[in-house]
Amino acid sequence: MIILIREKNQKAFSYLYDNYSKALFGVINSVINDIEEAEDVLQKTFLKIWNNFDSYDTAKGRLYTWMLNIARNLAIDSTRSKHEKIKSKIHSTSDNVYKFENILRTEDNTHDTIGLNTILNGLKEDHKSIIDLAYFEGYTQEEISKKLNLPLGTVKTKVRQALLKLRELAKKEIIN
Amino acid sequence: MNSKEVISSGLLESYVLGISTKEETALINTLCKENSELLKEIESIEETLIDFSSKLSPPINTDLKEKISTQLNFIAEDSPIAKVISIKNETEGRLSIYKLGIAASLLLFLTSLMYNVQLNHKLSKVNLELAQLNETKSYLADELKIQQASLKSMDTELEILSNPKVKTIALNGMNSLDKKTAMIHMNMETHDVYFNASSLPNSPTDKQYQLWAIVDGKPIDAGMIDMHSTASVFQKMKSVSGAQAFAVTIENMGGSPVPTMKTMCLLGNV
Repeated sequence: MIILIREKNQKAFSYLYDNYSKALFGVINSVINDIEEAEDVLQKTFLKIWNNFDSYDTAKGRLYTWMLNIARNLAIDSTRSKHEKIKSKIHSTSDNVYKFENILRTEDNTHDTIGLNTILNGLKEDHKSIIDLAYFEGYTQEEISKKLNLPLGTVKTKVRQALLKLRELAKKEIIN
Repeated sequence: MNSKEVISSGLLESYVLGISTKEETALINTLCKENSELLKEIESIEETLIDFSSKLSPPINTDLKEKISTQLNFIAEDSPIAKVISIKNETEGRLSIYKLGIAASLLLFLTSLMYNVQLNHKLSKVNLELAQLNETKSYLADELKIQQASLKSMDTELEILSNPKVKTIALNGMNSLDKKTAMIHMNMETHDVYFNASSLPNSPTDKQYQLWAIVDGKPIDAGMIDMHSTASVFQKMKSVSGAQAFAVTIENMGGSPVPTMKTMCLLGNV
């Protein structure tokens, strides 16, 4: 697949889009919370993935991780420039958590909100914060440690616990 | 660090989330090469994340994929068949350019050929006209010469006739030339004699008219008459002084020293 993408094969784009667009859009929309703008960012994300694919190094990490970084950075850039435009104050961690929760609550009925709610309701508040910061905001472990005033080792453990819980809930949701 | 320790450390989660440090990322990459268990765990974490955020995703506009697709540069084709068609089209395109070129040059060639044929046709027509004109010209030049000569002789005749010293003598026909008349103009001062044979019939082919002047009763040769001369109606004859009469006989070609009396056909007194 990576070879096909490097060859700029149309099938490879189709594969990438079909398999990752929803996951990336979920991340982008969580950061931006504006569907129209999020779609714009998703478009930019795929353009950047496609045009900068040469800079992806398999030795450095997973393809999804690389794409996630691009999507997240573009989404954050987009909100930042938007915030700068309206001269709004820089968002704080609590804002993020609030926003994250807010998005989840305001999900429309057209997609699987029941399953999602099951998962989210099963997550503890501190796990929600960790997932928000690590996954949606892309804060490094050190940044999270400072934000949440936790030792670096604890951050790593909490990240693992949060994801384990997520996995567990996701499995449960599938069974249900 | 064994596999279990790595898995339980939370490093793999950070790695997939893209928040691990450079050193941690490098370590995990190295460990993954030797340990399929770690790779499996990483894939599982990734799946969880993808599934989770996909559930968070609102529906995406169905046109977006196509919209993005139009902005990307696809180099490799989907299938070899598509490639073949593409190359074929290109070749056909090139071929049609060649065909067009050949057709254009052929058209140009035919046009020039037709033009040349037309031009040649015109040229030969012009040449023919020119030849006709030249012919006409030389005919007219000849005609002019004739007219000029005729005019000159008429001038001479007029000069002779208008000269008061010139006497006109009529010769009356007799024997074979009964009812015919010929005229002689003679300058009484210079004794120049001019014979006008315009009214006489042509002599037989082997015979010739000869003019005789009668001086003191004796015939003197006054010259042969040329019936075929076109130069002038008036023929200058030998000068004779003291002639009382003139006579014309029909003699053999070249004339005779003495007139043949029985062939005398014209006679007139001065």
